[in-house]
Amino acid sequence: MTNLSLAWRLSQREMRGGIKGFRVFLACLALGVGAIAAVGWSSSAIIGGLRADAKQLLGGDVELRLVHRPTSAEEYAYLDQTSDAISKAVGMRAMAVSTVGTKERTLIQLKAVDNMYPLAGELKMTPTARVQDALAMRDGHAGALVDPNLLEKLEVEIGDLVRVGKAQFRIAGTIDKEPDRVTNMVNFGPRLMIATDALEATGLIQPGSLIRHYYRLTLPAGTDTKAWREDLTTAFPDAGWRIRGTDEAAPGVQRFIDRLTLFMSFVGYTVLLVGGVGITRAVTAYLESKTRTIAALKCLGADSQLIVSIYLLQLLCLAGIGIVVGIVGGIALPAALLGTFADTLPVRPEIALYPSAIIAAAAFGVVIAITAALWPIGRARQVSPRDLFRAAAQPLAQRPPLFFLVWIGVGIAILAALVFFTATDPRFAFWFILGALATFGLLRLTGAALIAVSRRLKPSNALLRLVLANVYRPGSAAPGVILSLGLGLSVLVAVIQIEGNVSQQISERLPNEAPAYFFIDIQPHQVEEFDRIVNTTPGVSGLIREPVVRGRIVEINGVAADPKNVPPENQWALRGDRAFSSTAAMKPNTELVAGEWWPSDYAGPPLISFDSKLADGFGVGVGDSLTINVLGREIKAEIASLRDIDWGSLRFDFAVVLSPGVLEGAPHTHIAAANATPDAEKVLERAVTDAFDNVSAVQVREALQAAAKLLEGISGAIRSVAGVTVIAGAIVLAGALAAGQRRRTFDAVVFKVLGATRRRIAAMFILEYGVLGLITGLAAVGVGTLASWGVITFLMRMDWVWLPIDAGMTVVLALAATIGFGLAGSWRILGMKTAPYLRND
Amino acid sequence: MPLDLYTHEKPELNMTSADSSLIQLNDVELTLSSDAGPVEILRGIDLTVGQGETVGIVGPSGSGKTSLLMILAGLERATKGSVRVADITFDGKSEDELAKVRGNTIGIVFQDFHLIPNMTALENVALPLELSGGDDPFNRAEEALTEVGLGHRITHYPGQLSGGEQQRVALARALAPRPALILADEPTGNLDGETGEKIMDLMFGIHDRNGTTLVLVTHEMRLADKCGRRISIADGKIVADDTSIVAAAD
Repeated sequence: MTNLSLAWRLSQREMRGGIKGFRVFLACLALGVGAIAAVGWSSSAIIGGLRADAKQLLGGDVELRLVHRPTSAEEYAYLDQTSDAISKAVGMRAMAVSTVGTKERTLIQLKAVDNMYPLAGELKMTPTARVQDALAMRDGHAGALVDPNLLEKLEVEIGDLVRVGKAQFRIAGTIDKEPDRVTNMVNFGPRLMIATDALEATGLIQPGSLIRHYYRLTLPAGTDTKAWREDLTTAFPDAGWRIRGTDEAAPGVQRFIDRLTLFMSFVGYTVLLVGGVGITRAVTAYLESKTRTIAALKCLGADSQLIVSIYLLQLLCLAGIGIVVGIVGGIALPAALLGTFADTLPVRPEIALYPSAIIAAAAFGVVIAITAALWPIGRARQVSPRDLFRAAAQPLAQRPPLFFLVWIGVGIAILAALVFFTATDPRFAFWFILGALATFGLLRLTGAALIAVSRRLKPSNALLRLVLANVYRPGSAAPGVILSLGLGLSVLVAVIQIEGNVSQQISERLPNEAPAYFFIDIQPHQVEEFDRIVNTTPGVSGLIREPVVRGRIVEINGVAADPKNVPPENQWALRGDRAFSSTAAMKPNTELVAGEWWPSDYAGPPLISFDSKLADGFGVGVGDSLTINVLGREIKAEIASLRDIDWGSLRFDFAVVLSPGVLEGAPHTHIAAANATPDAEKVLERAVTDAFDNVSAVQVREALQAAAKLLEGISGAIRSVAGVTVIAGAIVLAGALAAGQRRRTFDAVVFKVLGATRRRIAAMFILEYGVLGLITGLAAVGVGTLASWGVITFLMRMDWVWLPIDAGMTVVLALAATIGFGLAGSWRILGMKTAPYLRND
Repeated sequence: MPLDLYTHEKPELNMTSADSSLIQLNDVELTLSSDAGPVEILRGIDLTVGQGETVGIVGPSGSGKTSLLMILAGLERATKGSVRVADITFDGKSEDELAKVRGNTIGIVFQDFHLIPNMTALENVALPLELSGGDDPFNRAEEALTEVGLGHRITHYPGQLSGGEQQRVALARALAPRPALILADEPTGNLDGETGEKIMDLMFGIHDRNGTTLVLVTHEMRLADKCGRRISIADGKIVADDTSIVAAAD
């Protein structure tokens, strides 16, 4: 303890030099900690907002959803008895057709609500009115509330009539805020809201139509929601309803936030790692300036342990400042942004402190600061007191003792553990850790290779020789520059290549491969006429039509199916209801990877042809069984074959296809897809929707354009966030180049004395920085491209293409950064007078 | 005895009685490795210095005099032979153990002062006392500074002191632990004549008052002449060991 107090006293004296030499150290640490704090806090704030508004988003304490059918009288009676209030709503897709002008039409998200709506929260509309009054019958037409963009799509105004199915509705107003609707990320149809009493008149309630019946309940105060749900399931085990409580108010948003947090966390971790490189360089530079002091202390009786303690304590104090600045900035900035744009977000964030996010960021900061500082401190520990007898200050030892290397390894392990436990997806965390280690290794290898090659090359050009000598000399900035800037640029390259590939898929490839239209809710008695209309419309081809029912996979090999028990990428198949189809003959271009298709006249026990990727995720194969629930009826079927399905192509397919005879008795509809030339698209849509009020047309091009627009918006944000890693790299780069300023000044003085012009000296600097920038850029392109290939190919399962222009821009950026920062620091040297430096010598 | 730099015969050593000898070097050799091969710095040094002696070590550049000082300070390990200072054998001691020996027993004064720039004069002088866990370091440090005539500059930083004042602080730092031995490496090398003279007067004054053994390396003959004993080193060997300088001067 006495030694610790002495070390503390001495470290405080060392701090009297101020923090001027620690600007890069503090900036790197603050940026890294700030990035982690910002991500953690923002995620907590949005999830906090989700929880705070859960009842409003859900529409009550509990929501029940049934597909295809409403509750039975018995079921409704039970709900009525066990709740304080019930509000019923019906949701489906439909077509809205204008009754004025050119009779434009569009796909809509139709929602019918009862008199109790909304049970929680308030629906805001223009003009302001009560919901029930706006939707009431007037002059023979029921009212409808619409999304503002519906007016634009249909070229109508408030007061005009629109047709939905067989009924016409008066547009009573526009919806400003729907309390139980989270803003859709991609709009596949604007909202049109009517009263449940008016739904019958549309003629859209037909057997097999994809209609969702919602029941929102307010439970009596003090009710244990979990117990209530269990009682309901016990009372009606085969009802087939989805039950959600306030803890699952907006699962889609929750998943989106989790994914976004995952990505942003990885960017934050990368910023921290880049910052760690900067910390090591900054501490090295500082301790190199302290070799005389350390030698003097050792001459006076200080042992190595005391030396380590003095400088570790000093750096911990400074780290504390950096961590606090990082946390404050990491919270204040997103708090200000989220607060400003709260109304435009899908969920209003809850601005609060969130200690767990702060503690996590602080923990990362402490560990990275210590781990990054141990290498130079270990080297400084070996400074010999003999150095005081030498004229020139000696460099630090090449590497620290083994003891320090072990502790550095421990620090890295703790960092990896922190990443693993704070990431929302441990599997991604595992791959990130591996990827980070590999990237570090590759970039260090690149630096070592550059030095080795520079040493071997013996160009005849004197300028080039000098430049290469600067690259491989001891204390060269090359390894640090390549590592720090290379890390940040690698992330940027990976992000740009991934985003570019996805964007290309959506905006170029898919429109060529995907059908022009999907048509849904085609009734069985309409198929013949439907086929005739489609096949006789000029410019239309490739019609595919299949029967479809909605159901859920409830058991896998006899065990209840739980999304938590399957990999994240397969959980979608167990969440809610899915579309199942049934067919006798195998479709052309079907890729069977296991088992056999049933004969076209098969009439035996139920069989399934299953998606092979889902089968992998579920851990099932040919011969295993799945139990599906369709309209309350459970059907157990054996898996007869597995198919490889490319979902990314938007090709018409089903994860579950049943053998003939299983679904024929169930109420079902048909879904169809067709290709069309651009000129034929509108003609086809009108022909089908004029003939069939109940059939909805989903224009794929429009959907892809909406997705592309969303991606464009997101990619800008993603690139900006990834750009933070480049900023961190730039700070470290500036520090690394500044550290070599003294040597460059000395070189310039000597060159000038020996007859070099300023132009020649400038050319030498530019060439040296240029070589560094070029190698760094190329290394970053290599590493980032490799990472993007892995993500696109194995994670997103898409075809990967290399985007050379984006890659080239990265190399240009690296060149600009190194030359820019380098010259900014060296410009002064070119103009200085040499005499003062020679006199001091 | 005239200074003979060219004989390779070991001159007759001036032996003091064994129980009053502070320094004992027996056949000490120092060989350092370099890219060009091993370099012999010291070749068979035998030296005994008694308590209270003042010894000046002279020799041309590269003769090994600074290396000899480093051996005495425990800053360099002899490749061969034994080193014993103040009844402590240096052989087999770790670097940290030698550091502690220095803190308690040996004071060192450097040509370049080597004060800690972020510490005041008082803190610089108290440092060896703090490092050795001594009692009342700051009061003792103030006494030492007063002894060298800088009692009024205790709160000043090295950057605020002249070269001579910095060297006086360094001297006070070497003196404060009341070491048995003070080693000085060209203590006046960076000072002008008048200032250097004052520093030497202080050093020898301390010796006279406290009986501290003083070993200093210098290439200034007038400084070496102040010592009671002058040892000449050439080519890593002691070529002359003269105790008659002062007697002759007297």
